Amino acid sequence: MSGDILKLDGVGHRFGGFTVLRSVTLSVPERGIIGLIGPNGSGKTTLFNIISGYLPLQTGTIEFRGLPLTTQSVPDRNRSGMVRTFQTPKIFERMSVLENIMVGACKITRTGMIQDLLSLPHARGEMRQIRSLAERVAGEFGLAGDLPASTLPAGQRRILEIARALAGQPKLLMLDEPSAGLNREEMQQLIAAIRRINEAGLAVLLVSHDMELMAVASAVHVLNFGEIIAKGNMAAIQQNANVREVYLGV
Amino acid sequence: MTLSLILQALQAGITNGFIYALVGMGLAVIFRGSRVINVMHGEFSVVGAMTTVLVLTAAKYPYWFAIIAGLLTGPAIGALIELTLVRPMIRQQATEDQFVLLTIGLERAIAASVLFFIGRDGHLLPAFGGDHVFIVFDVVIREHSLWLIAIAIIVVIALREFFRRTTLGLALTAASIDADGAATTGINVARMRTLTFVLGGLLGAIAGILITPLIAVDYTTGLPITLKGIAAAVLGGFTNPLGAVVGGLTLGIIESLVIVGVSSGYKDVLTFSILIAIMIFMPHGILGRGGRGGG
Amino acid sequence: MMRPRFALVLLGFVLWAALPHLLTRHMTDLLVFTAIYTVAGLGVGLLLGQCGIVNLGQAAFYGIGAYSCAYLTVELGYPNVTGFAVGAAVSVLIALVVGWPVLRLTGYFLALATLALSIIASSIFYEWDWLTGGELGIGGIPKLDFFGFKLDTPGRFYYLAWGVAFLSMLLVSNLVSSRTGLMLRGMRDSSEATASLGVDLQWLRTRVFMLSALLGSIAGSLFAHYVSFTSVQSFTVDKSIGFLLIPVLGGVRSLWGVVLGAMFVTILPEMLSQFGDIHQILFGIALVAVVVLLPDGLMGLLRQAAGKLGWSRVSA
Repeated sequence: MSGDILKLDGVGHRFGGFTVLRSVTLSVPERGIIGLIGPNGSGKTTLFNIISGYLPLQTGTIEFRGLPLTTQSVPDRNRSGMVRTFQTPKIFERMSVLENIMVGACKITRTGMIQDLLSLPHARGEMRQIRSLAERVAGEFGLAGDLPASTLPAGQRRILEIARALAGQPKLLMLDEPSAGLNREEMQQLIAAIRRINEAGLAVLLVSHDMELMAVASAVHVLNFGEIIAKGNMAAIQQNANVREVYLGV
Repeated sequence: MTLSLILQALQAGITNGFIYALVGMGLAVIFRGSRVINVMHGEFSVVGAMTTVLVLTAAKYPYWFAIIAGLLTGPAIGALIELTLVRPMIRQQATEDQFVLLTIGLERAIAASVLFFIGRDGHLLPAFGGDHVFIVFDVVIREHSLWLIAIAIIVVIALREFFRRTTLGLALTAASIDADGAATTGINVARMRTLTFVLGGLLGAIAGILITPLIAVDYTTGLPITLKGIAAAVLGGFTNPLGAVVGGLTLGIIESLVIVGVSSGYKDVLTFSILIAIMIFMPHGILGRGGRGGG
Repeated sequence: MMRPRFALVLLGFVLWAALPHLLTRHMTDLLVFTAIYTVAGLGVGLLLGQCGIVNLGQAAFYGIGAYSCAYLTVELGYPNVTGFAVGAAVSVLIALVVGWPVLRLTGYFLALATLALSIIASSIFYEWDWLTGGELGIGGIPKLDFFGFKLDTPGRFYYLAWGVAFLSMLLVSNLVSSRTGLMLRGMRDSSEATASLGVDLQWLRTRVFMLSALLGSIAGSLFAHYVSFTSVQSFTVDKSIGFLLIPVLGGVRSLWGVVLGAMFVTILPEMLSQFGDIHQILFGIALVAVVVLLPDGLMGLLRQAAGKLGWSRVSA
């Protein structure tokens, strides 16, 4: 079944009496890269938190891989195949780079705590499997596994967070402001990584206010004051009068 | 269960409730000012009461003088703890757990000191108004209880006015809500934190001196006092000192009704089950978020 | 590299086995308590070190383990092993039912909730005197025996208690280096990120809490059979605080820290007791000093010392 992996229809959200999202409708096709762009305070992060389960869905519907998302918890949503990153990368500071990625791979195994306690062969086997998967992912992203994660510079932290997310073999990767705090070179690495991930078959939802990063997206939605005011490819968006008004004030 | 029995229980509940309220207010003042849950808080009460007992009986000074001496121990110990222990730990960015452990250690050390210097015996203070009682609708009310309630109400009002009207009180509130912002307006945040311990210690000592004519205080009394105060403060939302008054009274009344209606042995079971339930289901206390505004 | 390490372990083992024959009966008795407290402290240490949870309720499970042995053997005449099993099962079940809602809380409030649990448990132990003997307690709990070998002296019980302690340490060490350990450490560093990677934090925490309760219960059962007597005074909030101090004092970063912490709370008070009543004050001050000055506990101090002496690693 080809088509859309993620479908939002009329999603709205209010904090107290304040409407953050009016009615957002958008979809991410399988293997697509969709950008969501908008100025600060436009509701991007709120929308992102609703999709990933950190905020409850108040109005509208969300469908992921054909099934409605309603009250599923954050871990449940992850297990159904979506994974997110954070605006400021939340890496595990007191663990090594490899261990960080290994945590991302933990959910693909099935041993219980009792097997872990007794260190049964099955548990040890799965641990080896996690380790080799993590080593492979670290290799793909050019990360040195035995470094303490706390020593990584900002760009590498971003990459580590993405690598860790991918170790769980998701179907949809959601990136929250992934270019924040990156220098030009790191930005190029990030764009290359997103392209490679996408070529490997993953859908990507990219939330950012960074026009340059949005060049990787096949279609871009512009969010302003809780509404999608434009959508299309980047070239069309840049010509759009509404968007120019929001971004450039003309 | 007759009406007069219920009224008698209510009377006892309100009396105890005001003690819990004073202890809970002290805990809340310290928590709001420093984010420390002060497990040794009950020791302020024990030391305050014991000092009063000693000055009164051993040194034979007049009662009012002994009370003042007892009251001063709370602020003194509070300041000492903040300056020598809490302040360096905050500088080292200690975690919540470390503060719990620190105050547990202090609780042990102070309780052990009371045992060492004063012994195992419980001590009572003379009741305010002697042993005079009032009898209203078959309910026996000790005059001391009325003094206790009146003094507690005055302390509550004074604290409220202090936070609302005085420059110092407002600075204290500002420092606890937004330390960085307060610092830019010239408030000495560290000194404000010391002050919260001074204030908390004073409230603890007041509670100790007021309760000692009713219940004999010994070296083991501190921890139970802290626990009841924590329960009162949690019921009240913890960051709001005046909420602790509502929390303390609720707790005191429920407790005495359970003693009359069920059994005295289960009062702690019920009190602390309620405490757990409130923390899980009403994280902002029984007053809800709105209760945070006051004080 | 393997050889000297193996020799060291062997030497340690021989020393351990010989200790009851070298020490006075009183010292051996203290070491038995060290072992029992190590088992209970391991559970608390696992929660504190791996999950960042302050558990002030361990005495509840310690009490359940002890009373189930006392009641089943003395009142009902069941074999000794049933006491251990029933205590463990009841503790794990209670930890599940209570832990599931309570472990939603974090930080201070979770610590307070576990403290409240300990108070509730000790009130119930006090009130249910048909089961616990109330203030009078239950005496005459039979000594354990293995195929006719009666563990009726500290020297004999020593081997069982330490056997259980070492086994518990082995299991906990397995857990820490397993997949579960990875998820726990992730949760400690960033619970939000760990949840976003598909780890059910609530269930993870609850399972570790159940394991901690199991260890507490086994320690309580050992205690009951060792001293042959249980009473409410042994399962108060004070005891819960004592169990928490074990990993705090010893240091949560290594399992041996728990052993060190257990020694601290069993042997140090005895050593200080020669100073008379003042020893409790000294103990309190020692505690404050460790919390303020040694965030990694005594084990952290040993490590620093070892580092200065030029040893690359102290076995952890």
